[in-house]
Amino acid sequence: MTAVPTLLAIIVASFFLMRVAPGGPFDGERPLSPETQAALQIAYGLDKPLWEQAWLYLSRLAQGDFGPSLVYRDFTVTELVAQGLPLSLMLGGLAIILALFVGISVGLFAAVKAGKTADKAMMIMATVATALPTFVTGPALALFFGLWLGLLPVSGAGEGLSWLLMPVVALALPVSGAIAKLTRAGLATVLKQDHIRTARARGLPEIKILFKHGLRPALVPVASYLGPAAASLLTGAVVVETVFGLPGLGRYFVQGALNRDYPLVLGVVTLYAALIILFNLFSDLIYGWLDPRMREE
Amino acid sequence: MKVLLQRSHWPLWIILLLIILALILPTILPWTYDQVDWDAVRAPAFSGTHIFGTDEIGRDRLARLAAGTRVTLMVAIAAALVSLFVGIAWGATAGWVGGKVDEAMMRFVDALYALPFMFIVILLMVIFGRSILLVFIGIGLIEWLTMARVVRGQVMALKQRPFILAAEAAGTPSLRIILTHILPNIAGVALAYLMLTVPQVVMVESFLSFLGLGVQEPLTSLGILVKEGADDMDMTPLGLFLPGGLLVVILVCLTVEGERLRDIYS
Amino acid sequence: MSLYEIRNMAIEIDGKRLVEGVNINVEQGQCTAIIGASGSGKSLSCLTPFGLTPGKLSGSVILDGIDLVRADAVQRRTARSRSTGFIFQQPLTALTPHLTIGAQLREAAAQAGPSVLSKYQLIEKLERVGLSRPDERLDQFPHRLSGGERQRVMIAAAIAHHPKLLIADEPTSALDANLRGEIMELLDELRREQGLAMLLVSHDLASVEGHADHLIVMDQGRVMESGPTAQLIANPQQDYTKRLIAATPRLDEPAPDLPAVGDIQMETKAATISFPRPGWRRGKINAVTAACLHVHKGEGLAIVGSSGSGKSTLGRAIAGIGPLTSGSINWQDKALPEHRARTLAMRALIQPVFQDPVASLDPQWKVHDIVAEPLKSLRPEIGRTEREEMVLKVLDDVGLGEAYLDRSPKSLSGGQAQRVAIARAIIAGPQLLVLDEATSALDPLVGASILELLVNLRKANALSIIFITHDIAIARRLCHRIAVLEEGHIVEMGDMESVINNPQALATKKMIAAS
Repeated sequence: MTAVPTLLAIIVASFFLMRVAPGGPFDGERPLSPETQAALQIAYGLDKPLWEQAWLYLSRLAQGDFGPSLVYRDFTVTELVAQGLPLSLMLGGLAIILALFVGISVGLFAAVKAGKTADKAMMIMATVATALPTFVTGPALALFFGLWLGLLPVSGAGEGLSWLLMPVVALALPVSGAIAKLTRAGLATVLKQDHIRTARARGLPEIKILFKHGLRPALVPVASYLGPAAASLLTGAVVVETVFGLPGLGRYFVQGALNRDYPLVLGVVTLYAALIILFNLFSDLIYGWLDPRMREE
Repeated sequence: MKVLLQRSHWPLWIILLLIILALILPTILPWTYDQVDWDAVRAPAFSGTHIFGTDEIGRDRLARLAAGTRVTLMVAIAAALVSLFVGIAWGATAGWVGGKVDEAMMRFVDALYALPFMFIVILLMVIFGRSILLVFIGIGLIEWLTMARVVRGQVMALKQRPFILAAEAAGTPSLRIILTHILPNIAGVALAYLMLTVPQVVMVESFLSFLGLGVQEPLTSLGILVKEGADDMDMTPLGLFLPGGLLVVILVCLTVEGERLRDIYS
Repeated sequence: MSLYEIRNMAIEIDGKRLVEGVNINVEQGQCTAIIGASGSGKSLSCLTPFGLTPGKLSGSVILDGIDLVRADAVQRRTARSRSTGFIFQQPLTALTPHLTIGAQLREAAAQAGPSVLSKYQLIEKLERVGLSRPDERLDQFPHRLSGGERQRVMIAAAIAHHPKLLIADEPTSALDANLRGEIMELLDELRREQGLAMLLVSHDLASVEGHADHLIVMDQGRVMESGPTAQLIANPQQDYTKRLIAATPRLDEPAPDLPAVGDIQMETKAATISFPRPGWRRGKINAVTAACLHVHKGEGLAIVGSSGSGKSTLGRAIAGIGPLTSGSINWQDKALPEHRARTLAMRALIQPVFQDPVASLDPQWKVHDIVAEPLKSLRPEIGRTEREEMVLKVLDDVGLGEAYLDRSPKSLSGGQAQRVAIARAIIAGPQLLVLDEATSALDPLVGASILELLVNLRKANALSIIFITHDIAIARRLCHRIAVLEEGHIVEMGDMESVINNPQALATKKMIAAS
């Protein structure tokens, strides 16, 4: 259970890092008068000692208050995050479901056809899919299906669900490739193990051996990949939201980063860290279900 | 080394060919990567001396591709080497010393693993300004973790092997055991993971550059070229497909080669 | 007509003929055992007719009237599920890790046709194979059970559907010596009770001879000799069988001729070795507790125990390659410092040899460098040319010639690799060898030749030997005295012959019964 201290350490470290950083959000193109500077400092509490600011920040955070945004002057970070989070979660959630479904199916199919042409073709496709960065597939998809074929909307969250299709596919592609490879490799290892021979010696049909005795242990590597997959989806979402002009968390993050909006960036990083840590815990639970030996720990 | 000449190592040959091209092309092309040809804005491929045409402000695409590949691969190889050294030092120490030291060192790695690293790197970029050095450090910070875990696992396994115990009984000092018995036996696996780290770094660097947080103009990288191509894709799709395709080819080749080496050595 | 009859069977894998001209008969209620070294094709001959290996079958294999050679995949599957039960070597991995014992037993019972067993019936089946607390076991996962318990579950599952033929592929080889006897007896009982025919596969003649009615000796894919067990052992016809019987140590063979011993050379005084508990928990686990033993010059001392008894840990502490927590290890009344504190001169006195010959040699090194390694540190005064001569001479001593100098470990057989390991151990002129299961991983004939080499080396170099093993019969061929270790304590120690004839501790009795 290192989750909570880890999260706390990230928040504190990021907070102090930001405050020692040179430059600030008020270094605009037009230099502000010293009076205005001072007034702004006081208004945002930047004049107090650092440790007091940190404590204030943490205690507000405990109540779900991420503080005011320095760039979007009329909004608090909490409001911005609350606006962006649902869309990002939906994108990420749909992408991981799609990736798991496609990845495991392809991996299973390839393992059943092990050594045959279908297996090799599937694995080549999976390898290429893993190497498809979202910032290449995203624009390419938009160009094909949006601009040339005119089938799908290129930008923004419109009516219906068709606008979700391309972002989700672009996000899910590399992850599904990785899952397909892990499933295939996991099955190849497990199907050689002794307990499969025991099941075969009982005269069970191959399909039952595969699903009842083989699949669960073979998915252990997939489960341990879920944590990194979540991280990769979140980073991918940043790109996809930028490319398709979707108002999600990632877009705010990039804007915040480019404009040095400390509270916004810090808020989003905290949230991302929490999400990833949550996902790692979740993947530990799945671990235990897949292989009871891991429950003892 | 002779093994690498076998036909199954074609991905490595492609990578080497690309490196050679990226090094040679800028010296023989009539255009540099930042030179603007005012007479040929958005020129199509094979027009005049522009083999792949020019971009939206008239810069030669091929020259920019070569320069971008050079920067991307340079950053990737350098950062991968950093991760190799840090990872081997950390992992080998933890594995060899063992016990509580190992426990503490690996807990630290586990904790770092759970972090959203890409965002922390971006955070660093925001705070300390965007420099290519920081891109290195940031990426190095992420990528040594896997190497440390792999090396530590290998050392732990090797340490229990009787030939290490026999070397100890033969009076061979610890440092020499590490240098002559342990390192040669993990070299293959380390090489494989080094090969697998490079595409990871390429991905991270291009991602940062795409968002405008990585390599800065006038320097260029494949990520920047993809970004420029995406912005102008409705006019000249070639600007997206060339750097995007090149990036995918590099990533596929490195991944395939790395996985092949990993399967051989572990 | 026999229940299971194999005539002139051949097996090919990838066009290579691995088994040829095999004839096997198994009668109802009887046990036929196939004996052979690794690579003799014994497991292949047993499992291929049922489609459990990739091998291609020819000849005739008739099980209960069905010809398995001409059968298609479905018929073979039916033959597996209806008429046959299987027990494999590795109980640790032969059960599916994510299914409970109850679920797997239920599946096994239903394999021959629909059958729904009540919980009571399942418990009864586990009780029959001697599993304690069977009601709790049903809901447990396999990893909670010990190796012996898991093998009992495997047996219960193998007979749950009342098969006619039971195929047991090395059913006791992975188990501790003291469990082997119990498991074999259980199989005998079940066979009598249910009128089962059993085909038993083993590499160890001693472990099956009391249980099999018929013996088949295989070597390199061919049957060397077969016949009723007692007759075959008393009166072997083929040279291979004779050598195999001679190589198999038995407790009832005449006591060997052992060399005279000198003064006390090495002595451990209350040697205790403990390890910290894994993880962050406090506390320690004692692997060895207050062990007192000694070795005379030229003597062989056997340290015998089951796995986890601490025998290897003790051996490593003596050889200076493992920790010693308290107590002392003395060499002619001078204390030897523990582990990494041991000086080079002291290291040169005691050298180890390990169980797994292949893992004992660095795969990246050549034989020449491996053998020369101890000289470089332990005898730095020796120059290069003299060193080369010494390497050659010692390779000659262990029965390998100059031709092996540039070989890499990968190209060596198990026996050759173990000879190289022994050469490395004796090159720096040690006085005591610590042999940790040095023959256990080898085929019987090879193991016997290594044992013979050790006897000769002891004679030539006046070596003392600590022989760590789980097998008393093998130890008896080399050792004057024996110390029995159980859970880190020495429970019995004394003269080899008197301990064998009159064992006191329960652990000793079990181990003798298993030999």
